[in-house]
Amino acid sequence: MTSNDTRPEAGGAAGPQPDGAPAAPRWAAALSGLEYKQLVGADGMATLEVAREHLHALLAALKERAGFAMCTLVTAVDHYPKAPRFALTHQLLSLEHNERLRVRCWLREGDEHAPSCADLWPGANWSERECFDMFGIRFDAHPDLRRLLLPQGYDHHPLRKEFPHAGIEPDRLYRQWDKQRRAGWNAEEGATR
Amino acid sequence: MGSLEQNGLRTKSDGGLRPVSAGGLRPVSDGPMAADASGSGFFATRADWLVNWGRKNSLWPMPLGLSCCGIELMAMIGPKFDLARFGAEAARFTPRQCDLLIVAGTLTWKMATAARTIYDQMPDPKWVIAMGVCSSSGGMYDSYAVVQGIDSIMPVDVYVPGCPPRPDAVIDAILKLQKKIEREAPLAKLLGSGVPERDETGTGKLVFQPNHGIAKGVLDKHPHDPKGKLGLSDPQPRKTEIK
Ligand code: SF4
Repeated sequence: MTSNDTRPEAGGAAGPQPDGAPAAPRWAAALSGLEYKQLVGADGMATLEVAREHLHALLAALKERAGFAMCTLVTAVDHYPKAPRFALTHQLLSLEHNERLRVRCWLREGDEHAPSCADLWPGANWSERECFDMFGIRFDAHPDLRRLLLPQGYDHHPLRKEFPHAGIEPDRLYRQWDKQRRAGWNAEEGATR
Repeated sequence: MGSLEQNGLRTKSDGGLRPVSAGGLRPVSDGPMAADASGSGFFATRADWLVNWGRKNSLWPMPLGLSCCGIELMAMIGPKFDLARFGAEAARFTPRQCDLLIVAGTLTWKMATAARTIYDQMPDPKWVIAMGVCSSSGGMYDSYAVVQGIDSIMPVDVYVPGCPPRPDAVIDAILKLQKKIEREAPLAKLLGSGVPERDETGTGKLVFQPNHGIAKGVLDKHPHDPKGKLGLSDPQPRKTEIK
């Protein structure tokens, strides 16, 4: 484990800055009353770690009060076989202050769902759909949670680590689709005869 | 029947108007009135030839530009390479008016249903060119999301290698396709000549060959644990059997 690893059990930079550290960041006032942990990511980016219950409130506060008008990415990282397994990550950008911020939320396997932020940033809609497609993380209250890149009905989530390297092709789905279609045609033909 | 000859449709010196037999199904008869080796008569041969001549010189392509190969396809139809020289420049963007489907690019499984629908919507007779390695075999995308060769979902007449193939290569494919069309017998049913209607040589049958035909287990090592030390071996082996 590297020294700047920000996983909860890693210790390191977890928790608020000790005395003598530089002044609190700009958004600290906007987030008063909310539960979160401030860390520094491995790449030096400010990172807020938050529990799932407080995720939506935190994101809303960041948008409304701290000027993060843009959500550039919603994705996840699969830390299998560690637990908790998924690190749901929101990347925010404030055009006004030229600042970027990462919000991370740990999700356990078998319980991988989180509140959707598509109501805050409409652009997060497809980002969350992709995240669902690739990791199988469900977003509660998402307006249209369908797969974005893979065919509907595909059974796997390819960016999970148990997904085989060589992949699983959805040709079975295709065959099924083809069969249904043909059955429909035949029925139509039979009806017109 | 003699009138066809008098109209100048076939004379000994007119080599360009003779049907080509290029190793195909239809050996060309020598005498104007002789039945050829396949048993079809003179009139059937001539009429077929005439129809084929019309078909092969007025192919209307349906460009299915799915990714980078689509750019070369545009160059091919443009003035520099000028597909109009071969009568195939009238690209239509509705499959109902086309008889040549050029699949130019990476076909994903998500797109596969749409591509097959386009193929089905084209009226017969229709031909397919798989342009580029992606559509021919999946190319460098050995991925769960990419169809490993469009012959998994539709029959293909000509494959064009290259990534992307130069426009000349695709023009060569169209010339090869024209040769192939020459060997067909479009009026066989009508005239009862007993010749197979379509030249099936080299036509991809609808064969599913998932995973490149690589045996199950060969590629199933876990990417983060190739030696199996972490016990991460694949819980979900690839589904290779297709019913
Ligand atoms: S064959 Fe090459 S150029 Fe053509 S679509 Fe595939 S990657 Fe792009």
